[in-house]
Amino acid sequence: MGEAKKKLIVDGKRLDGRKWDDLRPISLQVGLMKNADGSAYIEWGKNKIMAAVYGPKEVHPKHQVLPDRALLRCRYHMAPFSVDERKNPAPSRREIEISKVIREALVPAVIVEDYPRTAIEVWVEVLQSDGGSRCAGITAAALALADAGINMRDMVSGCSCGLIEDTVVADLDDTEDKEGNGDMPVAIMPNLGQVTLLQVDGIYSREQFQKAFELAIEKGKQIYGMQRDALAARFFGGETTSSQVEEAAE
Amino acid sequence: MITKGNHRYGPYIEKRGDEYIALRVGLAEVGREGVKLNPLTGPYLPRAEDDVIGKVVDINGFGWVVDINSCFDGFLPASFVFGREFSPSTHDLSSKFKVGDMIGARIESFERSRDPQLSIRGHGYGKVESGEIVKISPTKVPRLIGRRGAMINLISEKTGSDVRVGQNGIVVVNGTPEGIVKAARAVRMVEEEAHAADLMTKVEGFLGGN
Amino acid sequence: MSMKKNYVVETIRKAQMVQLLADGKRMDERALDQHRKLTIETGIIQKANGSARVTLGNTQVIAGVKIATGTPFPDSPDKGLLVVNAEILPMASPYAEPGPPSEEAIELARVVDRGIRESEMVDLTNLCLVPGKSVVTVFVDCNVMNVDGNLFDATSYAVVAALRTAKMKKYVVKDEKAEATDVLIPVPVERTPVSVTFARIGEKMVVDPDTEEEASMDMRITITTDDDGNVCASQKGEASTISPSQVLEAVDTSIRVGKEIRAQIIEATK
Repeated sequence: MGEAKKKLIVDGKRLDGRKWDDLRPISLQVGLMKNADGSAYIEWGKNKIMAAVYGPKEVHPKHQVLPDRALLRCRYHMAPFSVDERKNPAPSRREIEISKVIREALVPAVIVEDYPRTAIEVWVEVLQSDGGSRCAGITAAALALADAGINMRDMVSGCSCGLIEDTVVADLDDTEDKEGNGDMPVAIMPNLGQVTLLQVDGIYSREQFQKAFELAIEKGKQIYGMQRDALAARFFGGETTSSQVEEAAE
Repeated sequence: MITKGNHRYGPYIEKRGDEYIALRVGLAEVGREGVKLNPLTGPYLPRAEDDVIGKVVDINGFGWVVDINSCFDGFLPASFVFGREFSPSTHDLSSKFKVGDMIGARIESFERSRDPQLSIRGHGYGKVESGEIVKISPTKVPRLIGRRGAMINLISEKTGSDVRVGQNGIVVVNGTPEGIVKAARAVRMVEEEAHAADLMTKVEGFLGGN
Repeated sequence: MSMKKNYVVETIRKAQMVQLLADGKRMDERALDQHRKLTIETGIIQKANGSARVTLGNTQVIAGVKIATGTPFPDSPDKGLLVVNAEILPMASPYAEPGPPSEEAIELARVVDRGIRESEMVDLTNLCLVPGKSVVTVFVDCNVMNVDGNLFDATSYAVVAALRTAKMKKYVVKDEKAEATDVLIPVPVERTPVSVTFARIGEKMVVDPDTEEEASMDMRITITTDDDGNVCASQKGEASTISPSQVLEAVDTSIRVGKEIRAQIIEATK
């Protein structure tokens, strides 16, 4: 191609000043939505995402009911004003795929067997999007499930890593995702040490793949710490725990 | 993770190897009775013999559909109320309970394949005629009742009101206008501060002064 | 088992409500013509050209403005386009479902649109770039985040606040083609329409109904007025009747209450 490609790394720093393994600023708030059974709001870089949970509740239509477990439903949706070019509100193929992938990332963590014949609905609405929104969405959705008091084996924490200019970096923003060489969203169950979401696009050497993958897992664990703090703030008012009473958040 | 070792343990906890893992956000206690978790959030799951307070949301030919603040609606069969001779052509269900009526009921049974069945046989069940309705998280009901009713009796006595608590998190308060306002506030306080160790003192302080 | 379609008000609560209304009071201690606490935040979505989050009691709506260029309608070649869209998110209420907009959501979008369009809040002739070929399109998309009654007013205020604070790139026309410059100008806004919604319960009309009041009402009417006290749009809802005198009374109340809300919106969007 004739045009000069944008430089993503200058003097060892990325366009927004981050080092290769720095996360963007992340903030989490639990329980803002009044009607929902559980909710969590995340700001991750410029991403602004609200996740809310209803359930367990009746299944409609009835024929979809599962006799021995809950049916987990998930919708990932981007608001028309969330991206640079206004997006049509109807669900796109990308949103439908991401909805499925998020659902499959959450199901292993939720103890669906405890709620037979019910539905658990997870709504993820992206109010502003800037790269890595599915991982941010999963992170908020898992928190919303915990806020709703649904039994979970473990939390789910997401982070994506990738390649820009042949360098492995953590947490790609929108520009890096568009102009870079590869993106790898990952979500983990941090205590059980299992991966529940993995998508890869781009071309990675074996070493690059391992480095990016392990970096994503390490960052996922870091994000788990933030999720715990958010739950503590919500349920214990930020009080530090005494030895007798211990905050037990999964 | 709550703790390690070899203990007895209660609901909402899973044992993995020698670790005890909480399955929900709550307050964990490790004591002589083993490892316990008091959840701070979560739905009401119907249990047989629970006393609940529900709202009639629909009437069909055979009974009343009752919202019991759970993942399933409860069902009160007309035959439980009108007796064996009941038939849709002779009995008008809405003459007994209308849509919107609050009723105190017992969960008679909850089988896997059916919605929970309610019954109103017995003293104190039936239509709730009046009162202020307060909805709290069902996980806070044990705190609201207190050890052998200590908390609920405290609130009732100090405000001169009748406070009725359903296991499903619905509370109905009756009494004088001032008493109701105070009691309702006390109930809210218990819900918000359920995690505080000195909750009883706090509530006493709120109610005691005037 | 039937599907719960709507919120059922407890008969005890309804009785208390009716009794209070007879004394000119409401369950949450408001006066009949008093609205709930209104908060307006703007500029919350930086990628949008304009945005606002409005809370009216517990009802919460986020509106986002996006500017694009498009072709005009054949019968108005010199006018820009304004598209107002609303979605009641499934997370907003246990009774909301995902999927194509319900008739409720469509009525909401169209009523809000009417209030904006008929008041000429945005002068569409100001948005013409190349007559017959290229005009500016203003999209206003609303997400209802939490439902607690009176979506009409909350959504309308969010749209107005978002439009009032929206910025767009200045376009220049060269050789019959419109090009965007890097200069930011405010979206041209002329006036501030304000909608006021009433619910009738028994014989009483209450302003800004909450969930319980909406579930108890037998008629609803929304009236939108502009800065000069003109009525620019109205919509009656629910299958019932309203007397002419009730309509006129509502118009007067709407002008009065609308004035106070207009002042608040203007203050929040300076």
